[in-house]
Formats: sequence, structure tokens, C-alpha cells
Amino acid sequence: MLVYLAGRLLWIIPVLLGVSLITFLLMHLVPGGPWDMDKPLASEVVENLNRKYGLDKPVWLQYPVFLANILRGDLGVSYTYQDRGVAEIILSGLPVTATLGLLAFLFSILVGPPLGVLAAVRHNSWVDYVSVGLATVFASIPGFVLGLILILVFAVGLRLLPTGGWGTVEQVLLPALALGALPAAYNARIVRASVLDVLRQDYIRTARAKGLSETMVHSRHVLRNALIPLLTVLGPELAALVTGSFIIETLFSIPGVGRFFIQAVFARDYALIMGSVLFYALVIALLNLIVDILYGIVDPRTRS
Amino acid sequence: MRAIVAAIALTLLLAVTACSPAVSGPGTSQVLRLNLSGEPATLDPARASWAGEVAVIRQVFQGLLGFNHDLTLRPVVAQEVPSAANGGISPDGRTLLFRLRQGVRWSDGEPVTARDFEYGLKRLLDPAIGARYASFYYAIVGAREYNTAKDTDDAGKSALRDRVGVRALDDRTLEIRLAEPRYSFLHLMALWPAYPVRRDMIEKYGDRWIEPATYIGNGPFKVTEWAHQDHITLETNANYWGTRPKLDKLVLRMVKDENVAYVSYLRGELELAAVPAGNEKAVMEDGALSKEIVRYNALSTFALQFNLKVAPFDNKKLRQAIALAVDRDSFISKVRSGVGRPAYSWVPPGMPGHDPALGKQYSFNPPQARQLLAEAGYPEGKGLPALKFQYSDVGANKTIGEFLQAQLKENLGIPLALEPMEPRAFSQMVNERKHTWAFFGWNADYPDPDNWLSEIFASGSRLNSTGYSNARFDELVQRAKAETEPQKRLALWSEAQRMMVDDVPAVFLYHRERFFLKKPYVLGLTTTGMDGLIPGDFFLGQVYIAPH
Repeated sequence: MLVYLAGRLLWIIPVLLGVSLITFLLMHLVPGGPWDMDKPLASEVVENLNRKYGLDKPVWLQYPVFLANILRGDLGVSYTYQDRGVAEIILSGLPVTATLGLLAFLFSILVGPPLGVLAAVRHNSWVDYVSVGLATVFASIPGFVLGLILILVFAVGLRLLPTGGWGTVEQVLLPALALGALPAAYNARIVRASVLDVLRQDYIRTARAKGLSETMVHSRHVLRNALIPLLTVLGPELAALVTGSFIIETLFSIPGVGRFFIQAVFARDYALIMGSVLFYALVIALLNLIVDILYGIVDPRTRS
Repeated sequence: MRAIVAAIALTLLLAVTACSPAVSGPGTSQVLRLNLSGEPATLDPARASWAGEVAVIRQVFQGLLGFNHDLTLRPVVAQEVPSAANGGISPDGRTLLFRLRQGVRWSDGEPVTARDFEYGLKRLLDPAIGARYASFYYAIVGAREYNTAKDTDDAGKSALRDRVGVRALDDRTLEIRLAEPRYSFLHLMALWPAYPVRRDMIEKYGDRWIEPATYIGNGPFKVTEWAHQDHITLETNANYWGTRPKLDKLVLRMVKDENVAYVSYLRGELELAAVPAGNEKAVMEDGALSKEIVRYNALSTFALQFNLKVAPFDNKKLRQAIALAVDRDSFISKVRSGVGRPAYSWVPPGMPGHDPALGKQYSFNPPQARQLLAEAGYPEGKGLPALKFQYSDVGANKTIGEFLQAQLKENLGIPLALEPMEPRAFSQMVNERKHTWAFFGWNADYPDPDNWLSEIFASGSRLNSTGYSNARFDELVQRAKAETEPQKRLALWSEAQRMMVDDVPAVFLYHRERFFLKKPYVLGLTTTGMDGLIPGDFFLGQVYIAPH
């Protein structure tokens, strides 16, 4: 197991290298650079800025310099937030984003899968129709629309919760709900389909034939097997949630790291783009590893 | 799509708030809560360029000069505005002398000296700082040479730095030498890049000096808290040497979504908020909100700039035909919900050199437009190559493109293809002069036509993306830049602008109007056409909260 783990961890290195190289090439291929603004800067100023951030060197040389800096633990300085390091920006927003993401994730696994199970067990009943209907609605509404609706209802209409900000329990509820609604709906649909699939399996018929109660059949045989497909998506889902959402963080004025991903791309902030993408790739790689380990625990067939 | 949803949401919102109980205000505590719309990238006067950053810096620092309500210059830290009459400007117009007031102090109680200004200006020009506004100060002797020093060693840079024409003659006298006379340079001394900064703090704390504990300023407020991405709190500077502000505290929230900021205003969480585009009419028709509207002209003009180097826009008659085919009044009433003013010339209202009569020969006139189109060699548009209009695909720019498309079709029978682009890609294309016809806006950096005419339309200027080139125009603006007699300067600017407007390097479309809501209990707000992100940010020290 330890050898397997070490091997998988080592594999993350070439993955990150590949991601960094592709990102580096893509961001330099995209038209528009960090100093292309509505109001053009003087060419002398652009030269100073390029020199300051090492952009005066040929592009093929910039990548090894970047790698060498990474090995020293230096992600560089943001071109946008000129006085702050990329690592500092990511680390300062990470606790906020991770907290919000985890709460949204909690919501998605506490609400989604039970809804899916309920729908599958009561297949073709009104419970199923309502569950599927709700899941479809929440899977279809874009986050910013749901966020605005939540603000209108809870912050403006009922005046129960604030419009945004960060720091109190009240401020967390609406964004967590807006962020968690889509994965919850997605989880519900996956679990429903998976439970229906498992219910049709021979071993379920066998379990029933052996005289096991429906509760035992569902808890012992159906649920455990039906959750395997869910596990596959939970890793990337959690990664997406804890690395933040530009839209939700912007809408609810949350000082997280999510908005930096998009802002960095819009601003052609190469240092922040590279830092953010590498961070995102690392989180996804680690969570995928965790999911694979859990997979082995849940499904003994995959251990080999 | 998003705009439509937001519009629907806000309509619902107005209905909901109409039925909601009023929120109790913050009492009469002198706290003003505003929206900064985002995190400042920096609060360093040398590095700042975004209006939100400048809005904060203006509260914390004060320069030698500043602006009055009418945007004329006034002395702030300086005893008086230098002039030939008071001996502040040498007879050849190349040397400026600023005498500092007595008793000006930093927020930690230390005296502000001429050396702080010298250090600030030379630091701005330091190539290692990468200051975006450094080039504005190239009129200073040796400034360009120092700012563009590339492969020079430390000793060489130090020598270049010493040759920059800024020198503290003593604690209270600053001398600035210019390479050539330039009247508008005094305006630059009222801008944030010329503010004094504390050398000891910067040398001790490096780039970190802008965090609250070491962010020492000489203005009416000081930053006491910077919760990144969330809010900035400013409190009155107890060591302020001027008139003490009436407010105790300014809280600047960083709500990026203007719809949410607007909702926060309605909930009583902000005292001022912009009205999201497209909702102005609903606000004007709302009984309560209409009484809270603050609207005023910004020193800004938006135009549809041709690339004169590219056919068919090298054809003046074609440009004239298009200018005559665009109904600006209809644009303001239908597209901008009545907010803004139609533009026929470039220099905006409120700016010296604005002439309301200028460019009226290009008022909406479809028959004349069609006649000029024929004279241009394209009767009824026949033979005209396919026209394209490029714009940055943000905000309401799409509606502008669609309006233009409809106007050309309707009034000239010409089809127009729209090319929305990602903002940076659009900027790169325009900066490299690869556009054909593009949307363009300009906000004043300082209230002088120099910032509008020579920088945008002089031959070879880095900002001249129309490719307009006129030797007579160039000569006039050069003379105007050096002219110290205000009336003569204005006459020169006026002649230059008239000539340029007649040549139609762009269709001047509208002058921006700012449209805000302000709580009735906020009094003393004084706005100017050059306000930064926050309305009235030049004079927030005069604002106060009335009992409510």
C-alpha cells in the first residue's frame, strides 16, 4: 500500500509539470498581454514592467526560470496585486474558500444522495417526480441566478440574512447554498440512477430471496454498491468546491481565492495564472488519489 | 443573458422593497459606508492607476497642489500655486518653485518636508518601481533618462537619479526644472503620483509599507484596517494639519457585483451606490428612490474611432456620412435611458476648451449623410467594402454596437458586422492599430485639453490610435502646451479641436454622466467631473451624517 501511495504521489510531479507547460504555452498564445489596457502605457513604462517581472527574456527562457523559482518555493509576485506574492494571495484566500467549499460539499452530500435514494426507492411515485424535478431545476439554474434569487428572497424580501461579506454564520448560509445546489442536484441524479441500476442486479434478487428485510437489502447491499459511482465524482466535485467559485465569491463579496482564477486570466497576470492553475491541479490530483484509495476500501475488486 | 436576468431581478427587487419595512439607519454616528467595487491592487501612490486605488489614496495623502470644486488649481501643502507673478515660475517657464506651508505633519506627527516630495517624485521615476504614470512626468529634466535606464549599474542609476530636475532646496522649498515650458505640468503636481511618501517606512518595510501599521500619510484620514477582498476602514487622522474631517470613519466595502451593491444600498448597508446600467429609468420612476439620485457630468467622452490608415475609412466623406447618420439624441434616450449627454466634439463639458457649438455640423441628418455617402463614391452603399465594428465585450458595449448597426442600416442602408472581443485582446488590437473601427472612451487624467488633444490626436502620439495626422494641428497643440497665458492657450486648443473635429477621425457619441443614489441623511457631498471611483472623493472630508 505504501509503495502504491508513494508511486501515485510521485506521478503527481510529471502531471504538474505537464499542466504547467500547457498552461504556460496557452497563456502566451492568447492575444493580449498583461500591459494591454484601455489606456495604453508608454513603451518605456512597459519595458520597465517587463524587466521587473522577467518578461523581457525570451518566452522559451521564462519557463525554466519559472520552474527554477518553483523549486525554491517561489511562485513569484502578482502583476495585478503588485505588492503581494502569488503564494500569499492564494494562501490568504484559501481558508475562506475552503470553508465555504466544504460547507457546500457537506450540503451536497447530505441533501443530494438521500434525495437520490428516496427517488429510486420510490421509483415512479410522486416522491420520485418531485425529487427529479428539484434536481433538474437546481442543475439547470446558473449559480449567479440562484445567488441573486437567494439574495432577493432571504436578504431583501424576508430580511433574514445579509447580502454578502464574510465572517459570520449568517453570511455563509446563502453562498454555501448557492454553491452546493448544483453538486447536490448532480449527486442526487447519480445516486438515483445508480440505485435503480443496483436494484435490478441479480444479487439483490438473491438477497431478497434469502429473506432479508428491505431495510437490510437497501442498507447492506444497495447503498454500498450504489455509492461507488458517486465516489468517482466526489473527488473532482470537492476539488472544484474548495478551490472556489468566481461567480459566487463575486456575487456574495467573499474574500476567497476563487475569483483570482478568472481575474488572473482576464488580467493576463501570468504569475497568478500559473500559481492558481498549479494549485488547482495539485488539489485535484490529491483528491483523486484519496478517491482512488476510498474506492479500494469500498470496492475490493479495484484493489488488485 | 446575465444583464437580462439582473434587470429582471432588480425589477422584482424594486417591487419587493416597496413592500418591505424600512431599515433603521446607523444613527448619527459619523460613519460613511461606500463601495469600492473591488480590492485595490496597491495603495502605493507611485504604483496606483485604478480609480478605486486613487479614491483611497486621496483620503490618506495630500499633494503640493489640489483641485477646487470647479477643478481650478489650489494650493494644499504648498503655500500658493506657482505663477510668474508670485515668482513660482521662472521667466523662461522652466523652473517651478513650491514653498511648503508650515505645520504640515504626517499621521505619526513627523513634519512633512520638501525632501518627502523629492523622494516621492524620484521614486516614481525609478525604473525598478515600474510606475504606470511615470511617463506623465517626463517633462522634468532627466526624468525620461532615469526612468528608461536599462543596463546601467547602480552607480550609473544613482547618477541619473541625481540628475533628475527635482530638488529640495531646504525643508520647505522644492524646485522642479522642466526640459521645456509646460503649463499643464502644474496639474500633474495635483495628482496622486506626485504625493509625498515616507522614505524611512519604504526603506524599512519595502513593498509592505502600504499595510495599515506603516501606511503613514499626510491627509485627513488614515487607514486603520485593510481586510483584503472585503473592506478598508479609514479613520480621522488625529495629526491632520488642516481642517478636521466631519466624518469619524469611512468604511469602503469591496462589493464587485453592482447589483448586489445596489441591494446593499437599499437595505441600508451602504450610504452611496451606483445604479446598475439599464435600471436608471426604474429608479427615476420610483417615488422614494428618485429623491436620492445624484447625477453629474464626468469628464469623459466616448467615441467610435476610425482607423484612418485603413480603407475605406481613409475617405473623409465616408466618415462624414457615417457621423451624420448616427442619432445621438436617440442613443441617449433609448440606449442610455436618458443618462449622459450627446457628444459632437471631443473635449467634454466642464473641461476648459469645451465648445458646445463645435461639431454640430455633424448632427443627425440622414439625407445629407446619404448625399455624402454618394460623394464618397458609394451611392446607397454600393461598392462599399464590408464594414466591421470592434468593441470590448463588457458591460453595455454590446448595446452600443447594436445601436450603431441599426443606425447604419436604417439611415444609410449599410450593413455592419459587429466584432465583440475579450477586453485584453481588444486593447492589444487597438494599441497595435489593427482595428478598423472601434469603440473608445477617455476619462480625464487632469483638467486640461493637453490631456485630450495632443495625447490622443497628435501625430505619432502613443495614444493616437486613429492614425490622425495633421501638421497644422500638431503645430497648434505644441504651441498651446508651451503657452502660459490662459486665454491664448484656450484659443490655440479651440482652433486645434475645431480642425480635428471637422476631419472626423471618430464619431463622437456621448459624454458620460454619473448616476448614483445617496441616502438623504448624507450631507455635504461635493462632486467634480474628475471624481474617482467614489463620487465626491476629492472632498470627503466635508461630508457628514445628519440626524435621521
